[in-house]
Amino acid sequence: MSDELDFDPEELAMLRQLFRQEAHDALEIVTARVLAGGSARPGAETLTEMMRVTHTLKGAAGTVGLTTMVDLSHRLESAFAAVGREPSPWGPSTADLIVEVTDGLRAYLDELAVEPIVAEQSAARIREQIARIATVTDRASYSEIIAPSPQDSLSIPTSALLEGEPPEPVLDAPSDRMDVPEPKSYLRVEPERIDALMSSAGELLFDRTRIERRVQLLRTMSRDLARTRQGLRDVIERERLQQLGETEAELAGQAALLSQTTAALLDEIEALRRTIGDLQRGLVRIRMESARNLMTHAARTLRALRRATGLKVELRTLGEETEFDKAVAEQLVDPITQLLRNAVAHGIESPEERVARGKPAIATVTMRARQDGNLLVLEVSDDGRGIDTTALRDRLIETGRWSQARAQLATDNDVLDALGTGVSVRGDADELAGRGIGLDVVRQAIARLGGEVKVSSTPGRGTSFALRLPLSTSLAQAMLFKVGGQVYAIPAVHVVDTCVVDANVSQTQARHETLPVLRLEGLLGNGTAGERRPGVVVTFAGKSLVCTVDKIVGPREIIIKPLGPLLAPLTLYAAATISGSGKVQLILDPAQLVRRVHPDAPGEVADLTSQPMVLAGRALVVDDSRAIREAMTSMLGREGWIVDVAEDGARALQMTRQLRYDLVVTDLEMPELGGFELIAHLRKDDRFKTTPIVIITSRANPEHRRRAKDLGVRALVAKPITRRKLLEALAAK
Amino acid sequence: MPELRNVIVFAVGVGRYAVELRWVREVVTLGFVTAVPTAPAALGGVVNLHGTILPVLDVAALLDQPAGPPPRQGDGALVLEAEGTVCALRVDQVDHVASLTENEGAVVDAAGRPLTLLDPTRLVRKALEVVTMAAAT
Repeated sequence: MSDELDFDPEELAMLRQLFRQEAHDALEIVTARVLAGGSARPGAETLTEMMRVTHTLKGAAGTVGLTTMVDLSHRLESAFAAVGREPSPWGPSTADLIVEVTDGLRAYLDELAVEPIVAEQSAARIREQIARIATVTDRASYSEIIAPSPQDSLSIPTSALLEGEPPEPVLDAPSDRMDVPEPKSYLRVEPERIDALMSSAGELLFDRTRIERRVQLLRTMSRDLARTRQGLRDVIERERLQQLGETEAELAGQAALLSQTTAALLDEIEALRRTIGDLQRGLVRIRMESARNLMTHAARTLRALRRATGLKVELRTLGEETEFDKAVAEQLVDPITQLLRNAVAHGIESPEERVARGKPAIATVTMRARQDGNLLVLEVSDDGRGIDTTALRDRLIETGRWSQARAQLATDNDVLDALGTGVSVRGDADELAGRGIGLDVVRQAIARLGGEVKVSSTPGRGTSFALRLPLSTSLAQAMLFKVGGQVYAIPAVHVVDTCVVDANVSQTQARHETLPVLRLEGLLGNGTAGERRPGVVVTFAGKSLVCTVDKIVGPREIIIKPLGPLLAPLTLYAAATISGSGKVQLILDPAQLVRRVHPDAPGEVADLTSQPMVLAGRALVVDDSRAIREAMTSMLGREGWIVDVAEDGARALQMTRQLRYDLVVTDLEMPELGGFELIAHLRKDDRFKTTPIVIITSRANPEHRRRAKDLGVRALVAKPITRRKLLEALAAK
Repeated sequence: MPELRNVIVFAVGVGRYAVELRWVREVVTLGFVTAVPTAPAALGGVVNLHGTILPVLDVAALLDQPAGPPPRQGDGALVLEAEGTVCALRVDQVDHVASLTENEGAVVDAAGRPLTLLDPTRLVRKALEVVTMAAAT
């Protein structure tokens, strides 16, 4: 059939790929609409939409030459038409059947791309299922098994019921309406491309963390230096050591320069942090998808559970429009399945019990997504029996996890927080979900995403599990391995290969090179070099080495967490991540590993100070704007000046009495003592008679220029100051 | 001048200590403690608390006494915040909260037994110092 089409094979393959995506989306709409109705027959408008989507699918399938798909879509469209007629063939299992068909069609399309023969068998099965949709089933059993009137089947979208908002507008046109709202234009991008960008952005995060730690160290150093200097000054004053005074002054200047440079660096890192944040958020937004897919998944899971248990329970969903990072949403599928199982197995009472307690016979599980500040919150609540905190408290004591005293002090919330950390409400785990064990899995998955689980419960009224996740996660690729019983990570971009390292060697062959070996089992554990071990080939700034480890765990996507100021001096660690079970795993800094075997490699703090600085002299910058002082400090610092700063003329004058300066850069308008007054004072002092003085000002009128000239000012620079303007001013005669 | 201090009284090893409540964020049971190789004994490891990574400190080591056993999952800990740093202090037992009178740096509990009143600011500074020293060697 495809021979008759006007496409070359490559083009056709691409078109079919596009069709597959389109078909997935279309079938998902059908699934969502059917699930939205619970077990009830969809309304006329919904059916019309389902038919329209299927019809469009038929046309598209024809265009790309997929004849079987044309036939299947046609049959499905006809079956929907039959459902809409009276008497309708709709029965208790029809909704499930439709979902099976849409799921089947999607699987069929995927198979078609790889195994056409298998796909044809699937097509035959789907054809048979479609035929059953249009077949009238026993109506008596319908009303017997599922009793809800259409109003009772709470479902997507029902925000109106809780929030008092008007219901989502339902298509109200006659049943033959075919006009669809103008579709938004979308860009289809292969997910891999975005993932690649995401991982680059993740790398930036590593880089930033590394720089930040260096600067934190610098700050500590500069504080130490200031302290040492103070000590020195005390001695000098006490002992009247005049010659040392000058050296001390030098030291003071250097200390000030170091601290100012560090402060400027910190500002720049802050700017970098913001930019990286923007970049990551932007990328994440590209990958965002609404909570609808998760909700559809939940509806499907609940249907399966309902069939398995015979319990009567409906799903209510809220906040479907809330957006999640696709990667995060994928990680939420299992936890949500678990929570739904939990609710059905433990939360919901039998219909008889519910009626006896004055509740509706049909239980409701509510799934609600919302954004709360910087958090995404996904709540799964049931209106079941709630958790008996007294029993849970007893179990915590019985199992020896809590002491009597602790249990007495703990609030109900504390007790609920202990759920899923190894305690189950029921004495023995149920086959569907031991409430404790199941929640354990949920907690792990959420911890891995950097979030947490909050449990709240009211006895007799229900239980709610709130999954609280960070809105943007700092995901990065890393290679994980075990050393001395602990798992460590290295950013994946710096891990180029793995290999096996012989016992007792200090060099090994890897990637056609002889590379030095760093024994991590010695550095991080108590291991010896006496056996063959797996090795990780690490490269940084053009230098490589092989790190021996106990066991390679493999590449993983991890969330980067800062280690905090206390661990900053331990430069071996760049940051940390949290495992699925909530354990902290340290991330090794590849720069440090490389340095241990290549001592000349860059990246050590000492390198910063070993650079000989050509000193231009000591400068005093006087300006009431902190930003300008910082900017000038940084610019002059780069030219080799030791810079002191003063916020006004009075302070500057005070400083010049203590120290000589080789350059004074001053603003004109300042509180206390203005620029011209300062200069006038300075010129009266013998030490400053000929010192170069540069004025920086935002208003330079002829009168100013004349006064400046009279006072022997070297140059007058108009704000904003650029490096070029400053250099010109310094060079002026 | 005697002053009234609202403190939490706790025991670590043979020592009994008090720390003012205003520094204490939480009393927690430690989760899995990850050892930090190359760190000094005063830094027993790191833990994950609500998604944040906290260092676990050994009070005895910070007071230049022999360090206690390394912290383990299930140990009690006080979460302190000082000097812009949040850290966990491993404890063997939390006794009670009390208003005690400080007299020239000395506090005694209700039974008249002396307690060491801790200054978290100094503890954090000391911790940074010993970690820096360990990193340098």
